[in-house]
Amino acid sequence: MTYNKPIPPQGQHTKPFWDGAREGRLMLPRCTNCNRVHWYPRLICPTCHSMDIEWIEASGEGHIHTYAVQHRAFGGWGEEVPYVTAYIDLKEGDRMMTVLRGVDPMRPEDIKIGARVRVEFEAASEDTHIPFWRLAED
Amino acid sequence: MAAKLKNAAAIVGAAESNEIGYPEERGPKVTSLQHHIEAIRNVSDQTGIPISDIDGIFSAGWSSQLAEYLGLKPHYIDTTSVGGCSFQMHVHHALAAIHAGIIDVALVSHGQAGWSYRGAGGRRGNTAPGEIDPGIEMSMAYGAFGAPSSYAHAMVRHMHNFGTTAEDFAHISVVTRQWATLNPRALMYSTETNPFGGPITVQDVMEARLIAWPLTLYHCCLVTDHGGAVIVARPEIARSLRTNPVWIAGAGESMGHANMLEMEDFTATSASRSSATAYEMAGMGPGDMEMAMIYDSFTITAAITAEMLGLAPRGKGYTLWKEGHAAPGGRLPINTNGGGLSFNHSGMYGMQLLVEAYRQLSGTAEDGVNGVEGKQTDARTCVVNGTGGTLSTTGTLVLTADG
Ligand SMILES: [Zn+2]
Repeated sequence: MTYNKPIPPQGQHTKPFWDGAREGRLMLPRCTNCNRVHWYPRLICPTCHSMDIEWIEASGEGHIHTYAVQHRAFGGWGEEVPYVTAYIDLKEGDRMMTVLRGVDPMRPEDIKIGARVRVEFEAASEDTHIPFWRLAED
Repeated sequence: MAAKLKNAAAIVGAAESNEIGYPEERGPKVTSLQHHIEAIRNVSDQTGIPISDIDGIFSAGWSSQLAEYLGLKPHYIDTTSVGGCSFQMHVHHALAAIHAGIIDVALVSHGQAGWSYRGAGGRRGNTAPGEIDPGIEMSMAYGAFGAPSSYAHAMVRHMHNFGTTAEDFAHISVVTRQWATLNPRALMYSTETNPFGGPITVQDVMEARLIAWPLTLYHCCLVTDHGGAVIVARPEIARSLRTNPVWIAGAGESMGHANMLEMEDFTATSASRSSATAYEMAGMGPGDMEMAMIYDSFTITAAITAEMLGLAPRGKGYTLWKEGHAAPGGRLPINTNGGGLSFNHSGMYGMQLLVEAYRQLSGTAEDGVNGVEGKQTDARTCVVNGTGGTLSTTGTLVLTADG
């Protein structure tokens, strides 16, 4: 089935992320001066303002920071309501947005902030594989 | 007046991005954003002023994104974009802000890939085809539609941190609707003005249609038309008019982020900083405020903002409504027009806050607007707080009645 939801255009400065995603690897930018990972990707470290940024392969592990259940959506997402959106605290630092998998949107109280999640990738197109996060098995 | 600004500030450095002219003939195309960032890095190196010392940010349409990108929380954000003369105006505005003691270090920045992306549009000029803010690039795949889908995440985190419940926040809708039933211009004044108008209960709020759990429809503001305007004048003029002046005792602004992806604490906004500036200027504190006009795009917005303004302890903002303090007849009336929740909300509601604050403090709320009666309180002081974006940016005013 063709992917029917919004596919991000790939920015000029985010190529290593999308290249990694196509190989199933989660790539994150890290400042070589202060060693902090930041998200979203930047040309300059938002903490120490060094422009020496490298890309590292992340563990693909994280925790739920917060979430919500979307009951109103449009386009391809409209066919999937309700679904759970979430922000994920990355093991390496900073935070990503996602649609959370492996949770029951009709039982939102059962979803736990702090629960462990793992990244997986979905091929939205040949070029663009999108990371999503799934509740980890205990 | 303007002579007071003479020599009030100086330009202390000026630099450019690394590859100007026709960069693509030497290598890859350079984006407008890259031009900004390189020039900023270079002027910081030239002057020895760390980027983190910048407390005022000026650009033609880029300011909140640049501040977020640089990890800054500036106290002055000016994104005036009126064409090629914008930067001269930015220097003028920076001069006034420095003279006023609001900021010490102003960054005026420009980046435009006028050749590399010639012919390309974009609201900030010459952005690469398909290129969007990287924060949007990294969140647009994830099924968030409009403000409610984002704000719900803040409410869930507030519930987690402080043990609050959706019922707690529902009281904000109920009390704000009480104010609307006193304001004939409010959309939800009565069932005459709207089929869903008139008083509502906590149960009504809880049983309304789910938009983004835990937000039901009645936790969300209206979407309406609205226009408003205010005039600000200096004291000699203000005292000479037939209208009652309302004095601007304090003002402050700040921002946390542009994209919710960058929100550090989902239960806090920059209103803690913008209000601290405003209170300090006014020589007053939250205990001196006799009413409040608080942006209520959602119940959670109002609750968090009440906490940030110091009107309630952390985690307890909702108690102002639940215990009736914010209600008609309460000790701290809040959103006396019926709020964005029940009066009107045009998308950018901040003007509606100003109009109502002026009406209350000028003693003209009963006179109403366009001949329609309102509800006059006896408040002499009012804190007004606007929130923009997704709990992103805040502006706070401390207003006082005349005399
Ligand atoms: Zn760094």
